[in-house]
Amino acid sequence: MRSNPTLTSLLIVVFGLPFVLLGLLALGQYWRFPDILPPTYSFDVLARLLSVDGELGIGLLLSLFIATTVSILSTGLGFVIARAVALSKHPARWITLSYLPYALPPVLLAVLIQPYFIRLHLSGSIAGVIVALLLITIPFCTLFFRSFWGQQAIQYEQLSRTLGCSQRQAFLHVLLPLARPLLITCLFQSFLLAWFDFGLTNYLSVGKVRTLTVQVYLFVGEANSRLAAVAALLLLLPAALLLWLNKKAIVRQI
Amino acid sequence: MLSRNNIIRKGTLVFYALFILGFPLAGLFNAFSTSIGLTGPLATGLTGRYWQQLPTEASLLFSLGFSLYVAIISVGLAVVIALALVLKRQSMLKLTPFPTLLYVPLLFPSLVVAFYLFQLLSGSGWLSRITHTIGLTSTPDNFPAMIQDRIGLGIILAQVVLAFPFFTLLFQSLYDDVRLDDLRNLTRTLGATESQFHRRVAVPILLQRAAPTLVLYGVAVLGAYDIPLLLGRTYPQMLSVFITTRLQRFDLAELPTGYLIGFLSTVVLMAIIFWATKLTQRHAI
Repeated sequence: MRSNPTLTSLLIVVFGLPFVLLGLLALGQYWRFPDILPPTYSFDVLARLLSVDGELGIGLLLSLFIATTVSILSTGLGFVIARAVALSKHPARWITLSYLPYALPPVLLAVLIQPYFIRLHLSGSIAGVIVALLLITIPFCTLFFRSFWGQQAIQYEQLSRTLGCSQRQAFLHVLLPLARPLLITCLFQSFLLAWFDFGLTNYLSVGKVRTLTVQVYLFVGEANSRLAAVAALLLLLPAALLLWLNKKAIVRQI
Repeated sequence: MLSRNNIIRKGTLVFYALFILGFPLAGLFNAFSTSIGLTGPLATGLTGRYWQQLPTEASLLFSLGFSLYVAIISVGLAVVIALALVLKRQSMLKLTPFPTLLYVPLLFPSLVVAFYLFQLLSGSGWLSRITHTIGLTSTPDNFPAMIQDRIGLGIILAQVVLAFPFFTLLFQSLYDDVRLDDLRNLTRTLGATESQFHRRVAVPILLQRAAPTLVLYGVAVLGAYDIPLLLGRTYPQMLSVFITTRLQRFDLAELPTGYLIGFLSTVVLMAIIFWATKLTQRHAI
């Protein structure tokens, strides 16, 4: 079992080429067939990104707002629900239930729930997209915190109550600090789930909530590969940043 | 009498069940009732017409067959690559940059992977420009169709690029968990060759342990939407694209059949997931 320089180079190319090609597409101007490299380069897309009416800037802020809201809500709710599941009479049944949203591809889930979203006036709105994403992220967070709410955490809680803590104090001063690393990891992962979503958002928002993923698709449809590449690179940014900060925070459970 | 804590806990569970179960089940009920003519804009009263017409929907069968073919080929190829890397390049995977490099594709949204492959493999894409420059092709049309092609090559490639690093990491963690290095030494001591160890010990153990995850991943590929939307053809379409296209047509008469297909797909996928989660609980990884 030796290291193989050819294989190593091949894998580095496979993983690195997307960044190179997307970078060339984003910065290159007048890049037409059959040129291998763009004739000129420009950073003018950054100006479009920062301009007040720039679609990309709005898409970026919208994606950030939706993903942040969804990750905070689902991490908090998932933590509390996982405790209730752990203390329930039939935790295994609740775990099986938590897998339900994964039984459906997101876009199929969107197809099924859309009539209700229309009746609830959630279709085509940011609130609707957030609610729909919570349908996927809350069970994910509940499953994620399943391992935390084992015997040890419950015993810590009981011990702190025996020593005179109120329920709130035990939660704030004992359980939350104990779960801090898991909470941060879950926050990252649920952020990425919401950040990456396309099918659910695109279908339920009927094209009105133009997050970055929706914009990539729209720009590709308009054959505007330059702006599509910029939007794609913006999508990779937080994920790459998280990988750089802490690899384990992103992929903790496989 | 229930304590306040118990009431809060039970209330939390009721909210959870209503939220997670409520929307999808209500959606399923609506899809079913539309498919039998009871709801929807063209509801005509109870009818089995749409169910009777379903076996004649050749495009649906093609779509289902095409989705199954893509899922099996892509997951199969990704598994083979990942197994080869884990079993034959064990030392390489532990060297820089691999422990970090393998995580990189996991950070790519599938839509971005599809867009990247579109720019790389299309007739006027980067590879076609290179083959033109070195004289292998003369026009974009000379470049072999690798995206929006008949056999779904682009879709399969995108799924493999996304899946094989994930499977490599999965098999690597299982490799360490079950101490396959120790088993390798033991089998070698007992006279087995390297190939026998791979075929009779390592591969069966890794595949058995990873089976639930592989099934779940296969289901995800079966229902994939973003990648086939960009890299697939209008016929045959993968299942999710087929259903959404059907429901977004202007012809309202298409709705009951569209919802019927959505209902049946959901029920089948739920059954597979239920079976896979049972497996997960049995072989808790």
